[in-house]
Amino acid sequence: MKATRTLRRVSQWVVFLLFAFLFLNTEYKDNDVLPYAVNLFLRLDPLMAGAAALAGRALIGLVWPALVVALLTFALGRFFCGWFCPLGAVIDAADATVFRTVRRKDAVPVSWRRYKFLILFFLAASSLFTLQWVFLFDPISILIRTFTVSVFPALNFVIHRIFDGLYRAPGPIPGISEPVYGFLKSHFLAFEQPVFRTSAFVGLLFLGILALERYQRRFWCRNLCPLGGLLALMGRFGFFRRRITESGCTRCGLCESNCRMGAIGGDVAVTDHGECIECMDCQAVCPEEVIHFSGKEGRKPMAVDLTRRGVLASAALGAVTVPFFRVEAHGKSPNPLLIRPPGALPEGEFLARCTRCGECMRVCIANGLQPTWFEAGIEGLWSPILVPRIGYCEYNCTLCGQVCPTGAIRRLPLQEKRKTKLGLPYIDRNRCFPWIGQSDCIVCEEHCPTWSKAIVLKEERTLTPRGEWKLFKKPYIDEDLCVGCGICETKCPLTDRAAVLVTSRGETRSTGLFAR
Amino acid sequence: MGVDIAFAGEYHPTMNPGECPFSRRRFLQAAGGAAGALAASVLFPSLLPAAGGKTVDVGVASAASPAERARKAVALAGGMKSFVSRGDVVVLKPNIGWDRTPEQAATTDPEFVVAIAGMCLAAGAGSVRVFDRTCNDARRCYVNSGIKDAVERFARENHVGDALRIYHVEDRKFVRTSIPGALAIKEWDLYRDALEADKIVNVPIAKHHSLAGITLGLKNMMGIMGGNRGQIHYRLPECLVDLHRRVPVALTVIDAGRVLVRNGPSGGNLADVKSFGKAFASGDGIAADVVAAEMIFRLAPRDVGHIQKAMESGLGVSSVAQIRLVEG
Repeated sequence: MKATRTLRRVSQWVVFLLFAFLFLNTEYKDNDVLPYAVNLFLRLDPLMAGAAALAGRALIGLVWPALVVALLTFALGRFFCGWFCPLGAVIDAADATVFRTVRRKDAVPVSWRRYKFLILFFLAASSLFTLQWVFLFDPISILIRTFTVSVFPALNFVIHRIFDGLYRAPGPIPGISEPVYGFLKSHFLAFEQPVFRTSAFVGLLFLGILALERYQRRFWCRNLCPLGGLLALMGRFGFFRRRITESGCTRCGLCESNCRMGAIGGDVAVTDHGECIECMDCQAVCPEEVIHFSGKEGRKPMAVDLTRRGVLASAALGAVTVPFFRVEAHGKSPNPLLIRPPGALPEGEFLARCTRCGECMRVCIANGLQPTWFEAGIEGLWSPILVPRIGYCEYNCTLCGQVCPTGAIRRLPLQEKRKTKLGLPYIDRNRCFPWIGQSDCIVCEEHCPTWSKAIVLKEERTLTPRGEWKLFKKPYIDEDLCVGCGICETKCPLTDRAAVLVTSRGETRSTGLFAR
Repeated sequence: MGVDIAFAGEYHPTMNPGECPFSRRRFLQAAGGAAGALAASVLFPSLLPAAGGKTVDVGVASAASPAERARKAVALAGGMKSFVSRGDVVVLKPNIGWDRTPEQAATTDPEFVVAIAGMCLAAGAGSVRVFDRTCNDARRCYVNSGIKDAVERFARENHVGDALRIYHVEDRKFVRTSIPGALAIKEWDLYRDALEADKIVNVPIAKHHSLAGITLGLKNMMGIMGGNRGQIHYRLPECLVDLHRRVPVALTVIDAGRVLVRNGPSGGNLADVKSFGKAFASGDGIAADVVAAEMIFRLAPRDVGHIQKAMESGLGVSSVAQIRLVEG
């Protein structure tokens, strides 16, 4: 009975390849509109969908696929984790390679599995009171974020280093390596090397999750993953469940020792259906072939390892912490560099909905969208901001709104996007070359994309450092025309801090005199 | 840094080329029969020099389509065979700098580019390589300028996919290059393919530029420069002369079918685009710029800092008297 296990493995591979395909296509490929629903995985995630809807106080049409997953889980049990979850597949792959020969000595206490429920209740309660923390633990968010911010840029970097070396090598080597490089470049590599803030941190966290395999198989999924917890609660009563024809069972215990989730406990005939991810290993290893997956079960299933006290305490903690975040001073005095993507909702709704998946950063054509550290407070960690000194917002591009899985960034038609202000720049007249009588420049003005330029040059007499009066073309900002795309700051030739800087003042999503 | 940009301030950014106060057309018609050298010297009376050295031809073509204009201008300038030899590796450098459509006239017309690529191949070029280091995202510029599609389609339809290629600039292919005798940039990162090419064919579009006044052939070659090009603007005339000293251009063909007359070099607004319907070609890029500047924008060499500087450099014509107009 190894066929179903093989099927499950195939499913994991296929899903992971689909994940990789969508990830690689979350990119501008000579088309203003992305042809695939590259954000599919997050939209399938009931935890993220539920939290965004709950915290954002909105029905989010985009996440309807999550409803399908939820219904399937009610019917089939926690299949998602075993068959579908791409993070689960990565963890299994690590297990089958890096940790293949590891002997785990000190068993992780079975009771630790309750933490994933406690985390779930904590997150649910804080989401109920508008603070959405789910992104910290949601596996899909973690995986896409990590691939976007760390893994893919790092891979790209390494491959470039190798092929750059071969390219400069003597003799026939470049003749061999360049076609390979060309193939990789056109199919897999980034158009330009992406760079991201927090990338080392995000990458190390991810390695940490994989390293937990050293102590227990599927440590993350058993003990920590709140999506796993949610699906466990939903799937406990599914009609597709493990059962044993007890008459044929020799109690050899192979199924129990091979269970990656520790879902078989004490008596091999007893299954915790919340923990069982239906990976079919037990069925495959059973020498007597008495394990089946079907609707009926003779024995009473194991109870969920939860106390009422634990549930209430974690939920209460989730609720109680919310006001602490609501009295953070940045609510009154936001960081002026908090420049959100075009179409971003007002800050409160934005943070409630933003999944921190990094899809917008992945797709941002100029690499300008970056994860925050603490510009939006601790609660805003990893949310996207435009850092113009790294990259600007391309005037004719609407991709970030196309990939946002929860509508935290609205999908704007191009005409509307071109009128959406992200902020406004100011000229630092103490540094700008024409303003200090150093030389003409005009680089900010020539790059300004609006169709009556929002940077206007005025030729004015200026005292040079040598005491002569000369004419210079000085840039001025027309705040009515400017959309705050930041290309002026990106392209300012000053090598360190630009002489034209964008702040969030005047952004379309906020209200006030400059709101439009 | 002693920066002194020779900017005469005489340019007319809002001028409509069709409404020149001096009726150039009538003037040229009158002068048309006269010898080109004489015509040129009358064109720029203020710069009447003691003409020395050889004369160079500048083809000035009028035609309905961009491709016809390109072909005619090159033919008038002596024909592609006098610039490109059999087996040459040719770099064809259009302006693909901006995420704009051909109608917005911030980038060279794709038909124009393709016509010249076709002429290079017909003249026996071994390969023609098309690229530009762009200002907006390179992918968007290549697509929306129409140039990528046009070149690839031409290569496909004529089965010259190996010989004619358009590709993106890669960081690793910039080579730190020293420029002996430089006025401003003693060394800079230049694109390897341009340094190694047998011939460079420069295919700019004529347009307004907020610093240089106008941008034609000389400035278009910035597209082979790497690094922080913004700093070039601090001493644009000197830097452009340095660039051309290191990387000589075999043929310049200026697209002046549509001309962006305001808000250049990036433009965007169709109201800033005027139809001009001409093309200019010359083996001497400075001469081509001089003629295009005069005929399109009514600017004399002294009005455009980098053209003036280039004429003083000895890299090409040093006076308008050396220029022979060949119109058609």
